[in-house]
Amino acid sequence: MIKLLGAVLVLFAGTMIGFQQAAKFAERPRQLRQLAHALQRLETEIGYGHTPLPEALERTASATPEPLAAIFRKAANGIWETESFSFSDSWEQAINENWESTSMRKNEQSVLIRLGSTLGISDKEDQMKHIHLALLQLKAEEDAARDDQGRYEKMWKSLGILIAVLVVILMV
Amino acid sequence: MLARVAHLLPLELKTLLERLPESMQEQLEEIRIREGRPLEIGFRGQSRFMMMDGSLRQAADGAYKPSADTCRKLLERITNYSLYAMEEELRRGFITVSGGHRIGLAGRTILDGGVVRGIRDIGAFNIRVAREVIGASAHLLPKLIDRTRKTLHSTLILAPPQQGKTTLIRDIARSVSYGLWPSLESSGWQGRKVGIVDERSEIAACVRGIPTFDVGPRTDVMDACPKAEGMMMLVRSMSPEVLIADEIGRPEDAEAIREASHAGISIVATAHAYDLQDARGRPVLQKLLDEGAFKYVVELRRTEQGIMHRVVPAESVIGRTSSREASALQRLASESVHALAGRHRADDP
Repeated sequence: MIKLLGAVLVLFAGTMIGFQQAAKFAERPRQLRQLAHALQRLETEIGYGHTPLPEALERTASATPEPLAAIFRKAANGIWETESFSFSDSWEQAINENWESTSMRKNEQSVLIRLGSTLGISDKEDQMKHIHLALLQLKAEEDAARDDQGRYEKMWKSLGILIAVLVVILMV
Repeated sequence: MLARVAHLLPLELKTLLERLPESMQEQLEEIRIREGRPLEIGFRGQSRFMMMDGSLRQAADGAYKPSADTCRKLLERITNYSLYAMEEELRRGFITVSGGHRIGLAGRTILDGGVVRGIRDIGAFNIRVAREVIGASAHLLPKLIDRTRKTLHSTLILAPPQQGKTTLIRDIARSVSYGLWPSLESSGWQGRKVGIVDERSEIAACVRGIPTFDVGPRTDVMDACPKAEGMMMLVRSMSPEVLIADEIGRPEDAEAIREASHAGISIVATAHAYDLQDARGRPVLQKLLDEGAFKYVVELRRTEQGIMHRVVPAESVIGRTSSREASALQRLASESVHALAGRHRADDP
């Protein structure tokens, strides 16, 4: 009876671990897509609305789902809090603090940080070019993430169950 | 006064300027920041270089020199981290921040078909601290009132930069709008509707269209609007009785002033000129004066005792084409009004 219960628990745990890993692969392209939408929104605010950067970031945050919204909100508020007075510092800090809660990786993190060092300090055309460049790079990352998703999502789901089954078989 | 602009300054600069004695901080008028060159501050019409230890000297050796990094941070701050939204301001060469402080910029310009499109590589900043002096026009107003129409006569105020023109017309707008006529015969007159065309956002210091200086309850402000267009818009839409504009001088300004004065509106305008003689050397102003668009011309001069003003009836110099004749007449006129000349000391020079 206890053996049966243990086997069920092991099966359940293995399946869950597999699903969780698979979910990470599914989440990354989705967040990359949301990030691209957010940057497009920012581009519109900057290019057509001439909205000042802090306000543009706030608006972008309100139109973006969590956890990405937190990055934009933090970057907008940070410039008034940090004594250093530089936007790129505030932006980098916001990204580093909130990155853990996203499913994204180092590549897109460095793309964003690079973008931050140019935001707000040049004319409109230049700003739009920089955002475009970041969008292209994110698109490349998104394509790669979708490939990974197709390849590894199913694999992790089945792998979780199979390993759990193996453990159960070894136990009995 | 330093406290009003401190939020704009990078930490390094702020700490240094806070070492100035309190009285000096109060009198601060200009902070001139040039990348890699000595920091200069202006107060009471004088200027000094600032040493590392916070003392002020006339000679530039050993002065504090702002670094490229400090200047970049300052630029970010004054543009609200949005240089891209400041294209119009960069084309004009200055930024007005909330509180009405004007920051002049200099650097390498970008040309587009021979026209300045903006400034790149900004290397020099001039922060001019805006001040509101309530009652600055109290001594001048009684000389400008129009008894028959119970309002002001059209007046042109002449002075070189930094003499308090803007402070003066802001107070005129406020007094006229509240109906605070500062003389016995005019007491009890009601306030007049005032329209301000505030091209540089200096008179009313609007933030999102709402004046941050007290310009009176009957005042409408057309903010950041080209003067000529703004005057016409106000005349058409807001029916002002007194129209106020800063720093006129372009031909289209004259056109708008002509239109407005034919509509029976009193105009109070300022122009950059040392005195009447100087103003008459500028074709646009000369034409306006000849046409009688202004009833009075006021010359402002800042002295040790405060701000002096001299009121000259514009009629006494119109219709003279020969410059020698005009200058002789003007001398006469200025002598005759010398007795009239008012003097007042602003509470806060």
